[in-house]
Amino acid sequence: MMLKAQDYKSDVKPVWCPGCGDFAVLSAITKALAELQVPREDAAVVSGIGCSSRIPAYTSVYGFHSIHGRALPIATGLKAARPDLTVFCAGGDGDGFSIGGNHFIHACRRNVDLTYIVMDNEVYGMTKGQASPTTDAAWTGSKLTPEGPGVAPFRPLEMALSAGANFIARGFSGDPNFVVRLIVEAVRHPGFSLVQVLSPCVTFRPEQRAWKETTHADWAPESACTNRRDAFLKLLDDDGFTTGVLYKGNNPVFGKPQAATATLEELEKGFAL
Amino acid sequence: MTMTSVSLALTGSGGAGVMTAGQILVDAAAQAGWYGLMGRSLGPQIRGGESAALLRLSPAPVQSPDDFYDLMVAVDWGNIDRFASELPLHAASVIVTDPSQGEVPAVMLRASPHVVPVPLKDIAKDVPAGRVNMVALGLIAAAIGLPEDAVVGVLRQVLAKKGADALDASVASLRAGAVHAAALQGVPTLAPPTRSPAERWSITGNEAAGVGALRGGVRFCAAYPITPATEVLEWLAPNLAKLGGTLVQAEDELASITMCLGGSFGGVPSLTATSGPGLALMTEALGLGVASETPVVVVDVMRGGPSTGIPTKSEQSDLNIAVYGLHGDAPHVVTAPTSIADCLFTTQWSVYLAESLQVPVILLSDQAMGQTRAIIDKPADAPFVGHRLIATASDGAPYQRYAVTADGISPMAVPGTPGGEYTADGLEHSPRGTPSTQAQHHEDQLDKRLRKLTAFDYGDAWAHLETFGKAATDLAVITFGSVTQPVREALGRAAEAGVSCRLIAPRLLFPAQPARMAAALSGIKRLLVVEQNHMAQFHALLRAYYDLPPNVKTLHRPGPLALRPHEIVAALGDWS
Amino acid sequence: MNNLAEFLAHAITLEDESAQRFDELADALEVHHNGDVVELFRKMAHYSRLHLADARERATGLDLPRLAAWEYKWPGAESPEAIEVFDVHYKMTPFHALTAALESEKQGQAFYAHIAETAADPGVRTLAAEFAAEEADHVTLLQGWLARTPPPEDHWSEDMDPPAAVD
Repeated sequence: MMLKAQDYKSDVKPVWCPGCGDFAVLSAITKALAELQVPREDAAVVSGIGCSSRIPAYTSVYGFHSIHGRALPIATGLKAARPDLTVFCAGGDGDGFSIGGNHFIHACRRNVDLTYIVMDNEVYGMTKGQASPTTDAAWTGSKLTPEGPGVAPFRPLEMALSAGANFIARGFSGDPNFVVRLIVEAVRHPGFSLVQVLSPCVTFRPEQRAWKETTHADWAPESACTNRRDAFLKLLDDDGFTTGVLYKGNNPVFGKPQAATATLEELEKGFAL
Repeated sequence: MTMTSVSLALTGSGGAGVMTAGQILVDAAAQAGWYGLMGRSLGPQIRGGESAALLRLSPAPVQSPDDFYDLMVAVDWGNIDRFASELPLHAASVIVTDPSQGEVPAVMLRASPHVVPVPLKDIAKDVPAGRVNMVALGLIAAAIGLPEDAVVGVLRQVLAKKGADALDASVASLRAGAVHAAALQGVPTLAPPTRSPAERWSITGNEAAGVGALRGGVRFCAAYPITPATEVLEWLAPNLAKLGGTLVQAEDELASITMCLGGSFGGVPSLTATSGPGLALMTEALGLGVASETPVVVVDVMRGGPSTGIPTKSEQSDLNIAVYGLHGDAPHVVTAPTSIADCLFTTQWSVYLAESLQVPVILLSDQAMGQTRAIIDKPADAPFVGHRLIATASDGAPYQRYAVTADGISPMAVPGTPGGEYTADGLEHSPRGTPSTQAQHHEDQLDKRLRKLTAFDYGDAWAHLETFGKAATDLAVITFGSVTQPVREALGRAAEAGVSCRLIAPRLLFPAQPARMAAALSGIKRLLVVEQNHMAQFHALLRAYYDLPPNVKTLHRPGPLALRPHEIVAALGDWS
Repeated sequence: MNNLAEFLAHAITLEDESAQRFDELADALEVHHNGDVVELFRKMAHYSRLHLADARERATGLDLPRLAAWEYKWPGAESPEAIEVFDVHYKMTPFHALTAALESEKQGQAFYAHIAETAADPGVRTLAAEFAAEEADHVTLLQGWLARTPPPEDHWSEDMDPPAAVD
């Protein structure tokens, strides 16, 4: 029996503010799961802390709502121990690129076969509106940095490409059907897949509704770069609002499940005199 | 019963190869039927630093150092000041010194040992391709009565890849050194070996922890190296793979512990190993393990603290962080093996506890056990294999991951199980697992997470209990971890001198076991607590959770100096 | 639209996503205790479901193409009758809700009307015209409701309490 997108939603009502972009991402994930027909018991969504990290409870697959910045290693451990599962990691730009930044770099390097969806709203929504790593240096909307953060924003796609992620894409919550395609292709592509979804924060960054006008779907998935040089050059020309698939790489994917080749009794013999 | 053993120290610097020589000695003794151990003392550099091979050989199993070294052979005296205090000598000790390396430093002569000059370097030069560490090895083996063919047998294996010439040169060096053994007066010889029919192992505490993990069912490990725990992980790496398990090297301890939580959430018993600084980083994730009821085992091979401390030396100063280091009311399990051999059992038991109780377990090992190699009888199989209460496919009723049960343990669904889908959460939650801020849910969940630990029957493994002398005694010693072994030796000597004493060495440091402890302390009026840290952490823990006898005193000292049996005997005697 | 099956596949998804969007917003506004608008959106979801049932019935016996989410030929990014998320606010008034719903109905109507005019298949044109007419009725209905609904006061979005941090 075919599962529908609605079947992948739990009965828990999201607490996100009406107008939040994350609703669309939740829908896109469930539509992607329906497109892939992954059995519910074989999928897991791992998140950290923040508004978007609430997402696992809103799905009806397995989930782990963990601690700030640590979603990627939890997802990595889960996938490494259970390669049979389809593993998603989800969270926001703060959880992923600030406290989680180190794990992000190494997850891209390690290239474990999982899909990381970052709902990027360029703000710390949960803690009431501080600048995040992807916030523009001149944004003066936070009490914590009233003169603006004054720090060059983190560029997640460049970091991912540099570190070795195999699939790099950007989407926009206002174009959710395209996000479905990005997620489906991300899951299907082997290795670590990053899907950055620009997802406006209606409460702390209402001006982000302008992303409807500024995003442009110019990275056609069928023409994704397959070598890093081309992808870097595209990124140098990117205004941060191009959507589509930037890169589909062939870096070695981490880990292969191994069959046992010995018994514990045999291993213990190594200590015998 | 007093141990008959021979204790040897072989010291040298600048790449003299004393570790190798020491290892060959203990292996040869083992092959010939003796028991023994070899510890190491190292300087802070990767190559060429001062080092000492610290051996103890005996017909009976030994797992900790004696009071003094009977024989010390110094290839040279490089940086001896740094660790002279770890090489206690007495008047009966013999120091072999090479005159070409200068005078014996004053610090080594304080106990007035007997000094014998032997020109080790010159002897080595006279042998074609001779090695000074092999000369020293031959000298020691002959002096203590270790048969030459046992040593040559081990040399043959060790040098197998280097060819016949290397072997010949080494054997020649051995013999050249052996000739000078006659000049050593007063070095005790080994009592005849027991030749136990049981299978015996040569193993370190760190390796034993690895074996225990596998026996307990661990099949996933995430690793971040740290002195002195790295060998646990390095042993597990190839051996896990051979069993079809997986080891992932993590980028830091924040990642290693969380990867383990992920693997465990996936249904695979998971374990990592670290030391104090790493455990400090892991505390937040361990709290997540407690709140989400995800099993995991962390082996903490304790070293000198605080902060970076003394990475290569042993101490028992992580008790506080292990028991109290999680924020919130976060009860979990803390265990401690009592010997190198017990590292296997207690790690296996800890995996069993973690899986049964769906909780993090912190196991406190230490550098003294972790990095000392001992000859032990092959550990018996123990009936403790990790067994999680698994939720089977549901009958249609919505699955309640954190259902409030009588014993506090809720069936845990493993991903792949239809109908068991739930979201594990660090947020406080309802029985179903949805986040909740309600007072009743918090109380219910706190109660169940505590109840599951306090209601559990830990069985006899909770402590090593031993009576020395008469059962009717009013004197007891409580200790934990590696200090258990010197305490046992001390109590053996005391009993021979007519002082009876009871030993209580808990393997289960937390949660407290008031009923069992009360039974163990029945009739006891004088209690000595022995531990290797500066602030008497174990004493404070005992006072917090147990009713103690009226007269309690402590013998506590931080690392790096090991607590030795004679000090403990002395502490037993003075109750004014 | 090439044929009836393809058209109905679109119509079914259109109505389904319209209903789901209304329900999603109704749930969100329920969580945010905006009772007036919740009722309205639930009603709208209901109407979309009636349309959905109708479209499904028309599709009996037909082998509908299975389209991936991105393969639909929508004029905009989303299916035309899914209410615009950016027009939603937790304190929105029935006036806002009706305005947004009206806009989505107009888009639905325009979608069907366009197909009614341009589809090659006459069967598709006929059905599309029918659907367009039904949408037109809805538009009229909503326009009437809107006319009877007081416009929002200037301070409609005011919340004197600051945002809370909850994690």
